[in-house]
Amino acid sequence: MEAPGLPTTTLVLLKEHAQRVKPPRALFVPFPYGFALGKADDPAFQHRVIAAALALLPATNAPVLAEFPEAGDAPARLIQASALPRSNSDGDPADEITATRRYYLRWLEEHGGRTQVGLSGISQQRFRGLVGFLQQCRDGVAEDYPEDYPERHADKPLPQFIRHAADDLKAFMIEARMAQRPQDGANQLQEWFWGETAVGHLLSSLAASLRERGDERTAAGIAR
Amino acid sequence: MPRLEDLSDAQRQAVLSFPCFDFDDSLLTPFSKRLAQTRLALVTTAGLHVLGDRPFAGGEQGYRVIPAATQAKDIVMSHTSIGFDRTAYYRDINVTFPIDRLRELVDRGELGSLTQNFYSFMGAQTNPRQILDETGPEVARLLLAEGADAALLTPT
Repeated sequence: MEAPGLPTTTLVLLKEHAQRVKPPRALFVPFPYGFALGKADDPAFQHRVIAAALALLPATNAPVLAEFPEAGDAPARLIQASALPRSNSDGDPADEITATRRYYLRWLEEHGGRTQVGLSGISQQRFRGLVGFLQQCRDGVAEDYPEDYPERHADKPLPQFIRHAADDLKAFMIEARMAQRPQDGANQLQEWFWGETAVGHLLSSLAASLRERGDERTAAGIAR
Repeated sequence: MPRLEDLSDAQRQAVLSFPCFDFDDSLLTPFSKRLAQTRLALVTTAGLHVLGDRPFAGGEQGYRVIPAATQAKDIVMSHTSIGFDRTAYYRDINVTFPIDRLRELVDRGELGSLTQNFYSFMGAQTNPRQILDETGPEVARLLLAEGADAALLTPT
């Protein structure tokens, strides 16, 4: 982007890569992926990150690789489904969706309608059907995938639709949980979703099933 | 990322073995404006796009336009990897894509203005040659045509 004449300053999460790629102005922020500005819902902290990045713009000797001096509050280690004991393997994910909906609606109400649900293109009111579809995907053995989902957009390949459907269910559940328990941190949310919910169990077993059938690419977007 | 010494061995290996370009030096376009007179663009590699726009496929090296006036509720992330925690992003889009913070800087007079459009690329690229040679410069030219003086880039 500098070549056509646009000065840039960039946040970088991997200092070791920045040292190799050598962007002209980079601010190393010591936070994990998903936390580029350090802390959610902390405008003052985010402003300090932005100010530190913009302060590099007048630099004339490239590359500049500065370090942001403050620590964030994100956990250094990411919780994965396979690392957790399960406590709700027998629950019905469709019933769980129904029982969770009022908390999801509360999340929408409290956040001006902002939600990460929406990638699949299927309304959250139809998520019981989406759960049934993903159960078929998991349980199918003869073919790579079961019959198609009728509302899938024609431009979206089926594996991508499966990832987006799984992602929508994940966002629906976690946003509902955040409405219920706003104080929970990132790892508490992950532990709850993967360890205690029937939807989490559905997604981790779906990923395992896809992996067994050789579809690591789709599985890798769902659970590990 | 946290500093490498804080990671598990597996995480450290995954980070260090992820491919990236090796360049001998940097290309720098000089910047000499005051921020209060600067028109700033926001560009991200977090796989964000307007809700209803075409989602990113893994490894795709095209870009999406996000009009700067887009509300947070109309932006989604189609980078659905489980390699990172998205709960912070669920809570607050600004942790990845600080649109509200940049508007606040403009309102306070600390920043001149924002470009009409922001731009988004997909992350986790193993060989972003097309972004380097084609789509990255194309976005820069579009932003320059909008009067951009500089761009802030944010990762996933």
